[in-house]
Amino acid sequence: MKKTKIIAGIFWAFLGLIVFIILFPGLNNFSVSVSKLPFMKINPRYTGGEKAYHLVAEKCTLDIRRPVFNGFLKESNSGFVQIDWRGDLPALINDSIDYNGDGEKDFFIQINRKNLKTDLKSFNPKVKDVVISTPTSYGWAVRVGLLKE
Amino acid sequence: MDNILKTTGMKKSLGKSLLYTLPMFLITFMFLTGGKPNFSDTASGIALLTVFILVNVLFFFMHFTGKTDKYRAVLFIVFALSLSYTLINNMLEVRKAMYFSQADILECKIPFCHLVIPMMILPAAFTKSIIFPGSIIGGFANISSMVVLWLVATLVLGRGFCSWGCFYGGWDDGFSRIRKRPVIKKINELWKWMPYAVLIMVILSAALTLMPTYCSWICPFKAVTEFEQVTSVESATKAGIFLSLFGGLVIVLPVMTKKRTQCSFLCPLGAINSLSNKITPFTVKIDKSACNECFKCVGVCPLYALSKEDIRSGKVSIFCSKCGKCMDACPQNAIHYGIKGVPSGTLKNFSRNLFLFVSYLFMAVFSAGSIINTFHGLLKFIF
Ligand code: SF4
Ligand code: SF4
Repeated sequence: MKKTKIIAGIFWAFLGLIVFIILFPGLNNFSVSVSKLPFMKINPRYTGGEKAYHLVAEKCTLDIRRPVFNGFLKESNSGFVQIDWRGDLPALINDSIDYNGDGEKDFFIQINRKNLKTDLKSFNPKVKDVVISTPTSYGWAVRVGLLKE
Repeated sequence: MDNILKTTGMKKSLGKSLLYTLPMFLITFMFLTGGKPNFSDTASGIALLTVFILVNVLFFFMHFTGKTDKYRAVLFIVFALSLSYTLINNMLEVRKAMYFSQADILECKIPFCHLVIPMMILPAAFTKSIIFPGSIIGGFANISSMVVLWLVATLVLGRGFCSWGCFYGGWDDGFSRIRKRPVIKKINELWKWMPYAVLIMVILSAALTLMPTYCSWICPFKAVTEFEQVTSVESATKAGIFLSLFGGLVIVLPVMTKKRTQCSFLCPLGAINSLSNKITPFTVKIDKSACNECFKCVGVCPLYALSKEDIRSGKVSIFCSKCGKCMDACPQNAIHYGIKGVPSGTLKNFSRNLFLFVSYLFMAVFSAGSIINTFHGLLKFIF
């Protein structure tokens, strides 16, 4: 028994050595495999959610994302919708947004890119306030707070 | 044979030390250069060569002098400093500032670090997603690579990760070595259970808020890496917490106590690593027949991992990070690296050689990139 334990211990230690020797040369491959695991995707709270609508204007585009309400065990009552403007943006952005695709405008948003001021006019009781409004590497992003019910 | 091993200590002759360094020399050469050293740019060539020599000279001295912690700490501390330099330098190059903006968060461009891992577990299981605004694969400090590196290191080294792999540990390790004698000699050792409380707290709060709460509110190392831009009372409070914890737990207390207080009293990943000590092949053993209970090892342990009771019972606690400081201090060579299943007091040299090779190889290869980058930066700055 004692001998078996010694052999098992030494075997486990040598296995550790082998794993470490292949770890760094194989790191890229191991990482790619890990990245394919089902949970290895960034939570929509950070990515802003999937694109729901893509609108094209003269010099820029507008992406309206799917509202994000995700919580730990169940959906949360409050969330947000993210809007991304890309391309050659005007100094003053004015847009009316229908985020849920019901044909009704839910809010009007005005962004002054010079003084970084963002104003929101809500036409839907579920639309709360501006959570984030920021310049990004691709243009501008806004998150508008929403209530679920 | 056991009797011989008990009395000879861990020093090796010049020839034997060179022989033991040779495999490290060859493997680090392959890993650092890919087998084809590139000296086309003089600064990069000098940086690569300096780091390569440094890494191997330290390993040689571990064998030649029989001391572990003394030489481990040099690379460990240089790693911590150079990693911070690399991160800050990257921030300054990419963003022209040490803080990240809301846009960086929205675009998931935040470098990932292993301290986030405990907070990822529950949300990954229940929401099938990662609650961190970083990159899953590709780019600087991506999530997949860090998870692989940490997982393998913690399975093989256990809490040894905290003395051979963590690029933050070198900060409080370094500050704990500044004074010759501690000013504060006694701290209630119950505090060493605190990381478990922090671990439970951050796991639950991160699950409930789907936010890496430790990174957002507590992590002292934000002070030397990157932090949120101060634009509100909330972000100013966070910056205040980061700086106070860094000042208190990473600088002042380590200097006063000669202990790694951040790692001992706060870090939630250290708590997980200590649990994995249970399954790793390598361990630290006490040879009761050689120990004369001088308790020198207890006094020097930087992580409160050894008590007089542990020595009397012949078992090192789960807090041990396998740093080797106790072994360097032991005049009897009674406390030693061991392998699970192998009785204490036997195969001391074999176990040490194998452990040192594995743990040092990890640290050398993991740290080399950022140390080379830092040397390169310094050379460019000087010349
Ligand atoms: S306790 Fe935490 S900070 Fe310290 S070395 Fe371990 S993982 Fe790193
Ligand atoms: S018991 Fe020894 S090896 Fe373990 S942490 Fe303390 S000094 Fe380091």
